[in-house]
Amino acid sequence: MSITFIRFVFSLFVLGFLSACGTLGVEPWERDVLAKDEMQLVSDPLQANMDDHIYFSKEASSGGRGFGGGGCGCN
Amino acid sequence: MEKGNKKFVAKSLATATCALLGTTGTNPVHAQEEQPWQFDTALLYYGENDDRVQDLSLNVLARRSFADDRILSLGLTVDSLTGATPVGAAPMDVAQTFTRPSGNSAFSVPANTQPLDDTFLDTRYAVTAGWQQPLGRLFTGTAGVSFSDEYDYTHIGANFGLTRDFNKRNTTVNLGFAFAQDDIEPISGSPTPLSPMLDVGDISNRRGTESKDVVDVLLGVTQVINQNLLVQLNYSFSDSSGYLNDPYRVLSLVDPVSGDTLARTPAPGTEGPSHEFRFESRPDSRTKHSLFAQAKYYMAGKVLDVSYRYMTDDWEIDSHTIDAKLKFPFANNRYLEPHIRYYTQTEAEFYRATLTAGDPLPLYASPDYRLGNFDAITAGIKYGWRTDSGHDLGLRLEYYMQDGDVPGNQLIGNQLQRDMYPGLNAIIFNFSYRFGLGH
Repeated sequence: MSITFIRFVFSLFVLGFLSACGTLGVEPWERDVLAKDEMQLVSDPLQANMDDHIYFSKEASSGGRGFGGGGCGCN
Repeated sequence: MEKGNKKFVAKSLATATCALLGTTGTNPVHAQEEQPWQFDTALLYYGENDDRVQDLSLNVLARRSFADDRILSLGLTVDSLTGATPVGAAPMDVAQTFTRPSGNSAFSVPANTQPLDDTFLDTRYAVTAGWQQPLGRLFTGTAGVSFSDEYDYTHIGANFGLTRDFNKRNTTVNLGFAFAQDDIEPISGSPTPLSPMLDVGDISNRRGTESKDVVDVLLGVTQVINQNLLVQLNYSFSDSSGYLNDPYRVLSLVDPVSGDTLARTPAPGTEGPSHEFRFESRPDSRTKHSLFAQAKYYMAGKVLDVSYRYMTDDWEIDSHTIDAKLKFPFANNRYLEPHIRYYTQTEAEFYRATLTAGDPLPLYASPDYRLGNFDAITAGIKYGWRTDSGHDLGLRLEYYMQDGDVPGNQLIGNQLQRDMYPGLNAIIFNFSYRFGLGH
């Protein structure tokens, strides 16, 4: 997979969501489930942070969800 | 704006931001409690096989929400690290002696074992601070700083983010930047890349302190699909420049036919390496691109969290990560959450198990297994419960297993009979406690 391909796929998603989105989504009063703690994208930021740090120290990849770990001599 | 809507707005914007920042979580306090302070604390134990790295970590994240959806986050992490780490040298059918990174003494490793240096001992402190607030009706801004310190490494960083909502807040676009300036002070000075490991007391090939800069950019979009499904797609770019070497790792210099490490004799009256070793060398820049996708799906009380990440960089490392968690709620605010993660990466272009004597010395070479070709699996389970006072506790146990190999065309002679690539198993145990304060 190349960088150009990544950018292309990403652009498709962004454009798709921004333009064709009249049908996707919910009304403001339909957000009861989405407002739950366990439905947040990062429902446990501390756990995500600790796990990201472990994987950053033992593997060659980092981040993706947020900023790429780092700030340690562990890698 | 009515109260219910406002609470939701804070949550969804913060979610996007939290996902953006990663390090300082900016989720708002529990909707039910509305306590201004929320504390997340965790104790984590990480332990590898064969007395390798062990880490005991204490983490605290404090979040204070103010009027108008403004949130202050403060984080503290303390890590106590001990255990043995791979030297980078290849195992041999005879005992081997190495000079310690400090240059002050030597240590020996038995025959047919992976050379490990067991003097690894360090305590790391890290602090973060972050601020989040709305900017107008549809924008949210964040800013934060981070600092960490260990005996041979210091980090300082800053991050900024902006999110904007569209489509009745069903679509959110995030943009973030992070900058880091790290100083590396290897014990007794950083060794000149590809120079030999010298006798005890000889640090003539050492240079001073080093530094590196990192710039991260993240562009993401979050989309509500329906009442039960939320998805996110992020593109990240990361550029590191400066000193990217591991100052303590060496490659074995081997015979081109037998594959055995060349023997060496220390100077008379001194201790020193028994064989020929060369300090590793990596490029002084690295550019990474990642594509990350995540979905959260609510299924009649259960929550499925699935994500995929693809990473590629100019060191020719490619990786894929798939992660899935499923939360099963039970009566009395308890839950079980099994977790599985699969990771695979291909080796860096300059990854070398050993250096061959007689060949021209390459510009870059590293035996670091973390830049190698391997797969890894994590399997775990978390049990959580809420107390009568509304505090959340959790116990998590995970098992991490890494297994890889040296690309076949790199192995020479006797190396084919040896275990040239160290595998890794680790247990992760985590206790967490979340509570609120104040009214």
